[in-house]
Amino acid sequence: MNDFSIPGSQSTPAIHSDWEKGVVSMQGDSYPENSYELFHQVYDWIERFLGQASHPLALELRLLYLNTSSIKAMMDIFDLLEAAYQDGRQVAVNWYYDIRNERVVELAEEFKEDCTFPFSIQSHD
Amino acid sequence: MRGPSPLEQEVANLLADPQFEGHPLKEALSQLWGAHHDLLGRIERIARVSDGYQSIAREREMSLAARFDKQLRQLEKVARISDRYQLMMHDLNASLREASTLDSLTGIANRRLLTERLREESERAKRYARPLAVVMLDIDRFKLINDEHGHEVGDRVLIEVVRVMEAEIREQDLCGRWGGEEFLILMPECTAPTAGAVMARLGESISALGVRVNDNLLGVTASMGIAELRAEETYSSTINRADFALLRAKRSGRNRCELAD
Repeated sequence: MNDFSIPGSQSTPAIHSDWEKGVVSMQGDSYPENSYELFHQVYDWIERFLGQASHPLALELRLLYLNTSSIKAMMDIFDLLEAAYQDGRQVAVNWYYDIRNERVVELAEEFKEDCTFPFSIQSHD
Repeated sequence: MRGPSPLEQEVANLLADPQFEGHPLKEALSQLWGAHHDLLGRIERIARVSDGYQSIAREREMSLAARFDKQLRQLEKVARISDRYQLMMHDLNASLREASTLDSLTGIANRRLLTERLREESERAKRYARPLAVVMLDIDRFKLINDEHGHEVGDRVLIEVVRVMEAEIREQDLCGRWGGEEFLILMPECTAPTAGAVMARLGESISALGVRVNDNLLGVTASMGIAELRAEETYSSTINRADFALLRAKRSGRNRCELAD
């Protein structure tokens, strides 16, 4: 159902959507040349999902480095989730980090700060 | 809506009074009274419309201010997170640089750093016509130690020899792991005979080392070849000559130091 899958590259994360399961996963580094182009389809998809579907939505993140425009894009996505959550939708973010790079935890915490929806930060192997 | 003023009340009473019926002034007053009310109504309508516009403008200003505040908060947050990512990259860079220039087992310079310093120091020595000595040092019968006692003991021998080497060389010297059990010592402002004296001392200290293996002490010796940079040669030729001197030291019985021709 109009799902998309973007293969990762050195400077862009692999992004995958699953309408049926209500999951968007992103992994890797993100310092794309044009982050608007990359993230607007993610944003649009989530907006469409929240508008049309009624089942829960979860973001599965395994992100390492984010450049400034990617940070902005992620915050916009979280704002979108927050608004949906305030409207009674079930949304969640699961941010996985590598035990060998614990500083990602602090960064994920910063993102989490203004979010009231479930936002978990957990280690993965 | 305000209530009628005393004057208005009086006019209303006069108009309602039947004794003035048919009086010409009553007709005029009644018309004036009507015009007065029209004007009042119009003024009130204008005030209402104007208030409406004002409140729309005010609402818009409030929502702009709220949006501005939100954007500002978001901008501050983006900047804060971005700064932390940059700091993280900066630290990762530093540890990568360290990993790429230091030998992970012994913590001393690796071949990459040695080569970099060799290039710099040889250029400097030539430019200012200063001496520069290069020493190749090889632990004797190291393969045998590894084979007989295992790699773990071999690693400990390497670490112990490095510790002694670091203690014996001069502050301005740089020693690093050239590969396997072979080390290179770069000695700026140092002639071959001076390097020979330092190496003789180092050789003694190494042979005095005892690496504990279970209940025994394992003795270690090293052979060395020394070459001094010549004005007309590249540093790799100097290394080759030091290597050749090392080979001679090995062939003449090990645990000794030879000067290159």
